[in-house]
Amino acid sequence: MASVESAASTARAPILVLDKLDKRFGATHALKSVDLTFEQGEIHAIVGENGAGKSTLIKVLTAVHPRTAGDVYWNGKSVPLATPQESIGLGINAVHQEVVLCPHLTVAANIFLGDEEMRAGLLDKRRMERDAQKLLNELGFALPADAILSSLTIGQQQLVATARAERRGAKFLIFDEPTAYLTRQEAAALFKLIRQLKARGVTIVYISHRLEEVFELCDRVSVLRDGALVATRKVSETNETELIALMINRSIEQIYHKDEVPIGETIIETAALTGPGFQDVSIRVREGEIVGLYGLIGAGRSEFVQSVFGRHPATGGRIVWRGRDVTIRTERQAMNLGIALSPESRRDQGLCLNLGVGLNINLPIFKLLSVGPLINVARESAAADKQIRDVQIKTASRAAPVTSLSGGNQQKVVIGKWLNHGAKLFIFDEPTVGVDVGTKAEIYRLLGSLLKQGAGIVMVSSYLPEVYELADTLHVFRAGRLVATHGRKDASHEEILTEAIGV
Amino acid sequence: MTEQTISQDRRRGRRLDVLLGLTLLGLLLAMWLALSVETTTFWTSNNMANLLRQGAMIAILAIGETFVIITGGIDLSVGAVAGFVSMAVALLLANHLAIASTIAGAVAISLAIGVIIGVFHAFGVVQMGLPPFIMTLATMYALRGLGLLITNGATISIDNDAFTGFSRASFLGFPWTDGTWFQVPMLFWMVIVIAVPTYFLLIRSRWGRYLYAIGSNKEAARLSGVNVKAITYLAYIVSSFCAAFCGILLAMRIGIGNPTQAEGWELQAIASSVIGGTSLFGAVGSIHGPLIGSFILTTINNGANLLNLNPFWQRIITGLLIIVVVYFDTLRTRKR
Repeated sequence: MASVESAASTARAPILVLDKLDKRFGATHALKSVDLTFEQGEIHAIVGENGAGKSTLIKVLTAVHPRTAGDVYWNGKSVPLATPQESIGLGINAVHQEVVLCPHLTVAANIFLGDEEMRAGLLDKRRMERDAQKLLNELGFALPADAILSSLTIGQQQLVATARAERRGAKFLIFDEPTAYLTRQEAAALFKLIRQLKARGVTIVYISHRLEEVFELCDRVSVLRDGALVATRKVSETNETELIALMINRSIEQIYHKDEVPIGETIIETAALTGPGFQDVSIRVREGEIVGLYGLIGAGRSEFVQSVFGRHPATGGRIVWRGRDVTIRTERQAMNLGIALSPESRRDQGLCLNLGVGLNINLPIFKLLSVGPLINVARESAAADKQIRDVQIKTASRAAPVTSLSGGNQQKVVIGKWLNHGAKLFIFDEPTVGVDVGTKAEIYRLLGSLLKQGAGIVMVSSYLPEVYELADTLHVFRAGRLVATHGRKDASHEEILTEAIGV
Repeated sequence: MTEQTISQDRRRGRRLDVLLGLTLLGLLLAMWLALSVETTTFWTSNNMANLLRQGAMIAILAIGETFVIITGGIDLSVGAVAGFVSMAVALLLANHLAIASTIAGAVAISLAIGVIIGVFHAFGVVQMGLPPFIMTLATMYALRGLGLLITNGATISIDNDAFTGFSRASFLGFPWTDGTWFQVPMLFWMVIVIAVPTYFLLIRSRWGRYLYAIGSNKEAARLSGVNVKAITYLAYIVSSFCAAFCGILLAMRIGIGNPTQAEGWELQAIASSVIGGTSLFGAVGSIHGPLIGSFILTTINNGANLLNLNPFWQRIITGLLIIVVVYFDTLRTRKR
């Protein structure tokens, strides 16, 4: 049986116990031997930085991913948690940050999805709508059961997801950042509901970046850091400062190597730039400089850089490119100016996965490898091989598909392809998400070589140690605004995290 | 990874490609061998020249089709475009419209019609955001109707011997195994005329690389500076251009223009392409693949004729073959 931490010495019975739970994705060690006990009827918060392993933990508990090692005990019995059906059958349900329901169906149809009420072999629509409405009324949600889901706000949709979990007899309900898209009123309604569920004996796991919510709502809080459980505390026996200190990782600072590059002229400046998802953002990037944009997910950083890159053009403010006012309405305009963007999601946006490493690496520079329209094949091969060598991509060959590479090596392809491109401003959105520490160090080295070429870098990161150690100028975003600006390491981690969370 | 192992792996990768091509070619030759043993009429210089003529038109359609499929799209209109263009070229030749009624003029205008249709397809797919399936299905339907409207349902005969004679002409030849002289049909040379420039476009030009990149991940291609819209236009224009080219050869071969001709050829083109290793999921395909694929398909039809199979069986066999081949394609994708 699991080793139980001190805070568990309450009268409540353990409902779910994790014993040395371990999860690896290839080279990434996402959960490191986590021992954790959830007690029946408690609201248990899980906090940690992005990438600390919270999402992985949910996915293992809801059996989306099988665990690599360790045991899970449900009511004292060991359970395999091999399929989502099994997990749901036990009573484990998750309400995700982004609602995973069918937007074109009615509220009632969503609540009953996969477990429809039938009559003579046909769907009994009327009864489902009536029962759904009854359930919604009982839960105190003012929602019509016959409304089409997509006509509701995200917050209301989350209530539908909760009702759905409730109908399926949830005994263990995981909320993943539930308030990220909710208004204040919706959040208050959700909290009320969560307390009702608790009163009925449902165990709640509450995942949030908003520490004030943890203190308002939860009984206990566990802190994850780099995939490991660092502490579990009673909420009444801790405070925000302690939690922040527990969340921040100091052990791997030595990997942040930064070359000293002289800072040159200004490349780009934004003045009170406003666009979808951000307001009044003024920043400046100079040659040889890394400008870090830190904030929580959804704070407006990605929206801001996408706007500078012409994806969602700004609606107000100015962009000055090397002393000249410019408007950037399309991505091609941005690229023609000399801006390159390495996107956040390498699988969706960064790589042609089933094509060769060489093609991916050369994609931005085929023009340079061509004579007229025809590619100089020898030059193409040489360029690919040189880049694979320089960036140290571990691949069987330049023809091998990118899918055959590890996550870290894929990321080196995403970043490495820009090295010969000659762009002046590089925007890296979460450049080290999902890569191991060693690869991170290599990616930082690549950033350094871009700086030496006289480029400027904007680095969007949710990982504080990374931006803290690398950025010459660090901007903190919160709720679509730039709330603080720091010079190189002139504030503590605690201060910056506090600014980002807004406590 | 050392230099040496990289180059070893490269050679292995290239060998795998060659192996796939050889397997297809081997399949084709095996079919030929079987038919030569089974029938006395198959392996004759006459029938083989005929087979090359039959296969030529599907081969040209399939090569064009492959460009669209590589970008992850599909072009269902190629048969209708071929039929429509056969009518257009016949109409031009039958009238006295100065330069437009010369062979060169009529051919040039017909090819331009192909390009315009391709632009229209790409406009629908790129600018209006329509699914390629719907966009080309709609023109497939509408072009047949437009052709019937123009001709009022009549067939237009072509009495230009210089034009129709081309389809019977041949260039170069060699002695056949039975002592007769095998003459390579002009129509087959037309396949080479299409295959060589499209090979350079797809395999050796940077636009070809972009076609693959778009088929694999449009978003990644765009963020790498690829002009996704322009390259998508290119794919649909090549496809419709090849279809128009095929339509001209069709008019030559049967000496009439009729917009209802080439019915169902789009499926034969798609089947040829897929048999030749093109993935319907995009980003995988070649020029030699659809070329060999179309002759495999033509051999099935030709052989079924010679074996006196009910011609309806040809359709059933082709249909089943498509299911089998696409199933293998899904297996390949699932493994990734």
